[in-house]
Amino acid sequence: MIFFKKLLPFILILMLTILAGCSSSSEGNGSKTSNEEKMITVGWPLDIGPLNPHTYLPNQMTAQAMVYESLVEYNDDGTISPKLAESWEISDDKTAYIFHLRQDVKYSDGTAFNADNVIRNFKAVLADRDTHSWMGMVNHIVDVVKEDDYTIRLQLDAPYYPVLNELAFVRPFRFLGDNGFPEGDTTNKGINAPVGTGPWVLTEYKKDQYALFSRNEHYWGEKPLVDKVKVKIIPDSESISLAFENEELDLIYGRGIISLDNYTFLKDSDQYKTAVSEPLSTRALLFNTQSGPLAELKVRQAIQHAVNKEQMVESITHGTEKVANTLFWDAIPYANIDLKPILFNPEKAEQLLDEAGWTLKSGDKIRSKNGQPLQLDLIYIATDAIQKPMAELMQGELAKIGVQLNLEGADVMVGLQKLMDNQVDINFWRTNGPPTDPHSFANESATPNANGVYEAKLGLDNAAQIDGKIHQLLIGTNEAERVQLYKDILTMFHDQALFYPISYETNNVIYHKHMKDFNPSASEYDIPYAQMDLK
Amino acid sequence: MGLLWLLSFCTMKTWEVMKEMYESTWLFCLKRVITLPFVLLGVSIMTFLFIRFVPVDPAEVILRLSGVAPTAEAIQALRSELGTDQPLSIQYFIWLKGVLYFDFGTSFVSKLPVAQEILEKLPATFELALAAFVCIICFSIPLGIISALYKNSVFDKIVGLLSIISVSIPTFWLGFFLLYLFSLKLGIFPTNGKGTILHMILPAVALALPTTGLFVQAIRTSVIEELQKYYVQYAYLRGLKKTVILSRHVFKNAAIPLTTMLGMTLGNLLGGAVIVEQVFSWPGLGRYLIESIINRDYPVVQCYVLIIAIIYVFANLCTDILHRVLDPRLNGEGGRVE
Repeated sequence: MIFFKKLLPFILILMLTILAGCSSSSEGNGSKTSNEEKMITVGWPLDIGPLNPHTYLPNQMTAQAMVYESLVEYNDDGTISPKLAESWEISDDKTAYIFHLRQDVKYSDGTAFNADNVIRNFKAVLADRDTHSWMGMVNHIVDVVKEDDYTIRLQLDAPYYPVLNELAFVRPFRFLGDNGFPEGDTTNKGINAPVGTGPWVLTEYKKDQYALFSRNEHYWGEKPLVDKVKVKIIPDSESISLAFENEELDLIYGRGIISLDNYTFLKDSDQYKTAVSEPLSTRALLFNTQSGPLAELKVRQAIQHAVNKEQMVESITHGTEKVANTLFWDAIPYANIDLKPILFNPEKAEQLLDEAGWTLKSGDKIRSKNGQPLQLDLIYIATDAIQKPMAELMQGELAKIGVQLNLEGADVMVGLQKLMDNQVDINFWRTNGPPTDPHSFANESATPNANGVYEAKLGLDNAAQIDGKIHQLLIGTNEAERVQLYKDILTMFHDQALFYPISYETNNVIYHKHMKDFNPSASEYDIPYAQMDLK
Repeated sequence: MGLLWLLSFCTMKTWEVMKEMYESTWLFCLKRVITLPFVLLGVSIMTFLFIRFVPVDPAEVILRLSGVAPTAEAIQALRSELGTDQPLSIQYFIWLKGVLYFDFGTSFVSKLPVAQEILEKLPATFELALAAFVCIICFSIPLGIISALYKNSVFDKIVGLLSIISVSIPTFWLGFFLLYLFSLKLGIFPTNGKGTILHMILPAVALALPTTGLFVQAIRTSVIEELQKYYVQYAYLRGLKKTVILSRHVFKNAAIPLTTMLGMTLGNLLGGAVIVEQVFSWPGLGRYLIESIINRDYPVVQCYVLIIAIIYVFANLCTDILHRVLDPRLNGEGGRVE
């Protein structure tokens, strides 16, 4: 007992230390509002980051989009509309873009938004060209010139048609107020303060715990309906679901924030409201044609005929994703073309394999050709709740036509790397989504080590022809020609069955009934908090 | 011949004296402290190499996770910025040189000094680990002792079963079960975050339970073993009261082997906090580690492993010292047989 008496003070000190550590005040629960202030609480898996408009990780695009705005805006229907620039003109040779800036815009600290500030932002971004070189426009910008206090000219060295789409993207061409600039304007190293023109201002922030955004009282556009938005950082998707059920969150918004099983469970409980956005990106399989059986077109086509896609998408995504028969959703610019879908038809699949010489010998379960069994490797992301069941389902379907699909779960980027290194046959793949598709898809597909498509298509007879058309496309100035080139490129990809489009991914939204209805946007980063309201 | 005898006599005597000194607690500590840098050097080399076995280059991972296609220029620019374009040996020595000056490098992702980021997050993890440690002590000591004293009773069997269950349950499952029961159904605790004592209870319990089960059984076994020793029977014969025998002799002796386990526990709790922090959204080091592994943030992973190794080594050292204080026989000073 004396021994425990000795231990007692030690235990008490420990407990006091812990209590002292817990002395900070309690946080309010998500859906509650204090006095007359309206607040919406949302869960997000990663910390919002330093809110630097000109850099990437660890900045979260959804938070950057709340505070900073672009010159132009991309709409869900694929059109571009004015934002901080109220109008623009493009020179006849398509190398100069003149933007007329809005004159009623102020930063959240009350300072003015004008041509000098826009140019300062452009120069800060262009000081680090290599980092932003993924954005084709960056490689073409020669200069940004002030025409007058509210007019700027963006000068390119050659025509590059997707300038407006790229300017609409969430980063890096968004605008930081003068007071946010560090010494030497080295925004790539950090900023002084997140000062933007957007509808929200960051007012309270605890790293890895939460970020509180308040309405920007200087906002030039339509004011948000609620006073505050609290973003709670909850890294685990199951924990986000539980926090929502426990009314600590008002809504869950986004693609893959919670598993589709959880989404369906919450939806089916009838206690909450749900909404699904228009498609934003495409979930697909990318076939490696560099070597192996997939170098043959008939094998690629046979695989697509063998899987009952409708049933797979319905059963695994619970109807939240639409079946994709083409690589791009119709609303994506230049992608609304008439392509003949490859539909579920196992007999046709078997016939194609027979024609290709992959035959099933009596007693065998796997087809073979010249003694080589028809085996394919597919890599899926081990932690992805959709990819794994889809891979397993396809494994079963392909076994029925005598194709052995070997599955391997791996880390996020491993599959793509292995496909580019010609070490795997099939990998899950997705498009970038708006506003950079389809031109970023085209650009990356003709660039080594980008999205894997360049390497995957090396085995195609017309790979060089596709690359040629893509290069022509990006520098072309004639709209009719561009439409035709896109049609040619997308048709060639479709006819070559290089991709197996599975489904169109959407933003899935679930919210409590004390919130008013709103329309989710088909954007990966633009969450329409400004339209959200409490009843 | 005489000289040789004198020399060997002196050597023998010196050896005996040194051995005696060596065995003393302070020299023992000194020896452990001297070996510490070698242990840490080994750990640092292994971590440095193992994290680089993870496929895909950090520059590429960072660019892809940023949602941009990594162009050759961007990858090269980032590699040279991160220093990963240098040969491995040079990267290691640059890092090691920094560490000697307490500079653990800069995070690849946040661009902030790693030491600063880790020091910001370490208190939260320590807080959680200490809370779990207190839970373990508060629950396991009484349960273990009562189980031993009432060996094979219904209470003992129930505690035994619960111990096995608590050790076998995966931490993430336990975490979600606690959240479901105490937050969602009973509405007592919040599901996530940090701030009040209510936020801390569930993660601390989830972290403590598996070790508590282990401890209960260890204490039970240790007390039962002591109770069967001759000195206990002798003490009864001497007419000592049962409470005196238990409190002054049995519990004290039974605690000695457990001190080693106790020391290891703190290290285990810090390591085990990784999953608990993820489930309960606790803003500590564990979550940071997971993100850093995904992002291939080498300097963070290296610094984390080094810190955990230091904590483990020091926890072990403290345990050994405590062990020697509680059991003087280990110092070679004789000691009273009780």
